Amino acid sequence: MKTTLRLFAVYFSLFFFGVVSVKGQHQPNIKITFVNYTNGYPLVLDSGFTNCWKENFTVQVFKYYISNIGLQTTDQQIHREPNSYHLVDERDSNSKSWSFYLPAAKYDSLFFLIGVDSLKNVSGAQTAALDPLNGMFWTWNSGYIMFKMEGSSPQSSVINNKMEYHIGGFSGVNSTLKKTRLALSETAISVSDKSLTEIIVRFDIDKIWQAATPIKITDTPVCTTPGTLAAGIAANYSHAFDIIKIVQQ
Amino acid sequence: MLVLVIVATAFIRQPPPHKLTYLQLVIPKGWPRPTINIFANNPLTEEGFQLGRKLFYDARLSRDSNFSCAGCHQQFAAFATYDHDFSHGYNNSFTTRNAPGLFNLAWQKELHWDGGVNHIEVQPLSPLTAENEMATTLADVLKKLKRDTSYIRLFKIAFADGSINSQHLLKALAQFTGSIQSYNSRYDKVKRGEDTFTVSEAEGYKVFSARCNSCHTEPLFTDNSFRNNGLFLNKKLMDKGRMGITGNPIDSLKFKVPSLRNIPLTFPYMHDGRLINISKVIDHYRNGIDTAQPTLDPLLKKRLVISNQEKVDLMSFLLTLKDDVLTHDPRLKQPD
Repeated sequence: MKTTLRLFAVYFSLFFFGVVSVKGQHQPNIKITFVNYTNGYPLVLDSGFTNCWKENFTVQVFKYYISNIGLQTTDQQIHREPNSYHLVDERDSNSKSWSFYLPAAKYDSLFFLIGVDSLKNVSGAQTAALDPLNGMFWTWNSGYIMFKMEGSSPQSSVINNKMEYHIGGFSGVNSTLKKTRLALSETAISVSDKSLTEIIVRFDIDKIWQAATPIKITDTPVCTTPGTLAAGIAANYSHAFDIIKIVQQ
Repeated sequence: MLVLVIVATAFIRQPPPHKLTYLQLVIPKGWPRPTINIFANNPLTEEGFQLGRKLFYDARLSRDSNFSCAGCHQQFAAFATYDHDFSHGYNNSFTTRNAPGLFNLAWQKELHWDGGVNHIEVQPLSPLTAENEMATTLADVLKKLKRDTSYIRLFKIAFADGSINSQHLLKALAQFTGSIQSYNSRYDKVKRGEDTFTVSEAEGYKVFSARCNSCHTEPLFTDNSFRNNGLFLNKKLMDKGRMGITGNPIDSLKFKVPSLRNIPLTFPYMHDGRLINISKVIDHYRNGIDTAQPTLDPLLKKRLVISNQEKVDLMSFLLTLKDDVLTHDPRLKQPD
């Protein structure tokens, strides 16, 4: 009986050790955090801000997809986050940060796609961040809404002074998919297996209004279909991302 | 003891085995292979099909539990809405387009009259959420399903992790609708040598082959393209079809070429159901086409010459496209 018990103990410790070590191999060492800014401060939902055209606005919904994240090493190797699809929702603080594992190396740039790649737009029902339950999937013209900003502005002429930008479209000249590459810093960052490196990325909403396609709420309070306007707004916000801080523990 | 432990841990580590019965889509002899595999990420199983079937017939998938998918897609009408230009939706509303028959969807790359839906799995999102159809939300549907013990059981059987979520709901529906096939009309039986055409039907087949087949291409009786067939713009609906999806003016007034299979059951015809019978459809092609439209299909620039005798023969041929096997298939009926 004693022997059996010992065997039992050995077997169980092996079993649990096995489970722990499998997980332990992939301890997350990269954390990505997105912070949304406007007027030089973090965005606060349901409170008033002003854009470069002196238009006042309040944001109630602010969501966007970040996908296909990767880091590039100083010797040009690319490592990608597996199954990299994230919906950043200002309303949900848990959605603004996530961690994953990449091989230890010296990295010099971070890249990601603003939006959901075209393949996932045509591959049927998805789950998690891509679940149509998240209200980011168009039902009559299949495809994801890549970026959604809803709110109001006294300058808006539409009903209830609504301001509504649903930016999507994944193919052809009016594709809103934007690849972004950001240098990590002037010198490369050493990422190790043992510690967590947090990269804090800023999305500066101010850059949406004044860019190649100037957006005034007075003139364009609403954009909810794919097309040239949506593509223009996407081009504007493709330049709105930068890295404001890297924290290494 | 050790054996017991091993057995126990093996059981803990692996989900319980699911005995799924895999099914195959039928590719009738002589048919092209579908250009896409709609079941590529959704293996077709008896369990998934039966769950999809139950969902398809369940009116609780609408806000007021009055409208199931089958309410507008009736088996006896080859899964179109019988004798309706527009279908009825929530709160005494009408749809804005004629409900198409559902069959041979595995051969369709894009769905809807304007091709706006790019995958069979995401199609149900439109009718489920449209205010003039089922008028509900995905969240609400899932809430109802999660309270129903029979669905809890069926989702568990049909899918590996067994959870009731939007992906499983949509994949199950796709397994049912994607399995609806039509290849047993009298036309098909003649082609297989199991039946023969009457003289009039044979003459009509000749007319069809010469004047209709280039768009309503056999064996699907559609080439799945989008074309402007010269209907006047419906001023009330202002429906410009494909252009609403692509935003491109060259697609103005183009609609998907519908399959002519089961045509005796899918009247009235056209995207807005404006033509009440086959005779009127043939008359439209003989002398009703609005030739002033810039996007009119090149094949219709010259009106189709079809004599009265040819028209009668063509109509008798078209009646042979009715598939009684489909409309009576017990596997496609409302489950008990």
